Amino acid sequence: MDATPGSLRGMEQEIRTCLDQKQYREAFDRLLPEFQNKVFRLAYAMLGEAGAAEDMAQDVFVRIWRALPGYRGQSSLSTWIYAITRNACLSALRKVGVRREVSMEEPGVARAAEATGLEAGGDAGIDVLRFLKQLPDRHQQVLRLYYLEEKSYEEVARLLEWPMGTVKVYLHRARKELAEAVARGKI
Amino acid sequence: MACPEFEDRLIDYADIEGEARACVDTHLAECAGCRQFLEALLVVDTELTARFSGREASAALAVTVRRRVDREASARRLSFVPEILDFVGWGAIVALLGLMAWWVVPFIPALNSNPTVLSLNTAVAASGAFLLVALFIGLRSLADLRC
Repeated sequence: MDATPGSLRGMEQEIRTCLDQKQYREAFDRLLPEFQNKVFRLAYAMLGEAGAAEDMAQDVFVRIWRALPGYRGQSSLSTWIYAITRNACLSALRKVGVRREVSMEEPGVARAAEATGLEAGGDAGIDVLRFLKQLPDRHQQVLRLYYLEEKSYEEVARLLEWPMGTVKVYLHRARKELAEAVARGKI
Repeated sequence: MACPEFEDRLIDYADIEGEARACVDTHLAECAGCRQFLEALLVVDTELTARFSGREASAALAVTVRRRVDREASARRLSFVPEILDFVGWGAIVALLGLMAWWVVPFIPALNSNPTVLSLNTAVAASGAFLLVALFIGLRSLADLRC
C-alpha cells in the first residue's frame, strides 16, 4: 500500500492523535504499512541494490520506532520519515565508500573486481544497469527513483527533497549519457 | 549521434506534444543519427522500466520490522523490581547503621549525661537521616525509570 497525499493527511492526523495519547505502538502500526514501500524504494534508489535496501528499510523503521516519542510534528510525518531514510542511506554509503577505498588500494583486488564485473555492481547480465552504475551517484539515484516511482518528477523531488528543476536536470543528463552509450554500442 | 539542436527534445520526446512533436518527427524522418539516438533512449527506458517499475518491499519486511520492534518494546518495558530491590538494600544499610548507633551510644559517657535531650536529638537526627535517604532513593528510582 502506498501513501497518497489525501490518505497521508488523514493518517498523519490519526498518528498525531495516537502520539498525543502516548500510544506509540498504535502510531507505528499505522505508519508502517503506509510507508514501507516508499522507504524501500528511496533506499533502493540511493543504495542501488534491493537486498541492501530491504535491510536498510528495516533499520530505518526501527529508528523511526525509537524516535517516535520525540516527533513533535515540526515537519510533516512523510518529510520526517524520508529525512531519516536519506540520512541512514547516506551514512551507509559513506561507510561503503570508505571500505571500497581501502579495498581498492590493493591492485590485485581491483583487477579481480574488474575481471568479474564486480566493480560495475555484479549485474553482468543487464548491460544498461551495468552502465547505470558507472554514472555519478546523484544521476543513478534520481534515475532509479524516477522509474521506481512510476516516472513521477514530483515524487522524486519530494523523496529526495530536491528542487524540481534539479531533478529534471539530473534526469536529463543521466538519460542522455545512457542513451549515448547505447547508441555508440558501448554497452 | 543526435543533432545538438534536437538532442534535448529527443530526451524529452515522451513529454512533448503538438507542434513541437511534429517538428521533431519531421526531423526524425530524415536524420538517421537522431533516429538512432531516440531508439537508444527507448532501449534505456524499456530496460529501466522493466527493472524498477512497480518494485515493492517484500512481505517479510513488515513482519521482520514488527518482530524487531516487539523485542525492543519488551526490553524497554518498565519494571519496578530493581527499584524495590534498591529500596530494600538501602533500607537494610540504614537499619544496620541504626542498630550500630543504638549499640554504641550507651558506651559514650558524654551522650549519656542527659537522657531526655539525647532521645530528642536522636529522634530528630534519625528522622532527618530517614527523610534524606528516602529522598535520595526516590530521586535515584525516578532517574532509573526515565532512562
